[in-house]
Amino acid sequence: MRGLRLDRRLAVIWLLAAVGLGLLLVAARLARDPLDDRDPAWQRPGFLDAGELPVPAPQVAPGVPADGRPTVVIFERADRLAQLCRALKGAALPGRPATAVVVVDATTGRCDAAGTVVGDPERALARSYGLRPTRGGGPPVGYAVVDGGGAIRYRTLDPAVADQLAEVGTMVAALP
Amino acid sequence: MTTPVAAEGAGRALRLCLWCVVAVVAEVGLYASYRGHDARFHWFTHFFVGASFALVVMAVVALRRRRAVPVPLVWPFIAHVVAMFPDFLFAAGIAHQRWMDVFLGHISTHFVPGRNLTWFVVFLLALGFYLAVLGRVSPVQEDPDQRFTGSVTGGRS
Repeated sequence: MRGLRLDRRLAVIWLLAAVGLGLLLVAARLARDPLDDRDPAWQRPGFLDAGELPVPAPQVAPGVPADGRPTVVIFERADRLAQLCRALKGAALPGRPATAVVVVDATTGRCDAAGTVVGDPERALARSYGLRPTRGGGPPVGYAVVDGGGAIRYRTLDPAVADQLAEVGTMVAALP
Repeated sequence: MTTPVAAEGAGRALRLCLWCVVAVVAEVGLYASYRGHDARFHWFTHFFVGASFALVVMAVVALRRRRAVPVPLVWPFIAHVVAMFPDFLFAAGIAHQRWMDVFLGHISTHFVPGRNLTWFVVFLLALGFYLAVLGRVSPVQEDPDQRFTGSVTGGRS
């Protein structure tokens, strides 16, 4: 009888773990941001040349991506541009990368802290940079890191890019 | 009046509870070490992978020793820390590289089909295996320093 009781206790431990962690998994899934990647594995993977990368980077504007030095192309929505610009002002990205901010859902935008601002209302640039669709639909928010040779080495959706520019710097610093 | 046996049982349960609280607090600490709201995904992957690895090792060790392993809540935590170690480096400004898969598949485990659901199933299988082994080996109560594991890991005695 005692052995049977012990086995039951072990089964209860298993069941508690299954239900508890299962509920946490469901809660985590429900709490995801509409701007997140539909597949979280591809959001902020943290390493260069993921998937089919590197691929040649399309031109964003004349001289962008810059020749011979890294370029960070940030995709942002117009209503969040001011917050990103404030963050860029205080940011110290390594290697002095050229920074281009692409305002994806307006014809143009203004951001003195960025080298170049271009509009992309049709999302053609976002598509050409291979940014993945967001969970909630709509223009993607994220960035791509282009090396000095003009190849995209890293790209990700990142709804909190303005708060995580240090992470952008980490990826720029990882370029060979 | 409380009997000595009941008091010992209550003491064991209390110690176990304490270890559970410590483990939960430690895991919350690991979760908090991630920046960004999408940290949950990474935490789950490395927790499931690390804990599954630890549970299989614990089961094998228990089978070989014919006795439950001591401090069973510490093993999955340590394996979790190993699995997510590159994320500590990332927070310090060092990007991931593919060789970091040596940390329990830190890079490639994110990309398995089914993602975290797959690892959840693997974790439940590993936990089931470990618990099944526990039902067939002696608890660690013989070791006075490790008695607190007896109630969780208690197999047939």
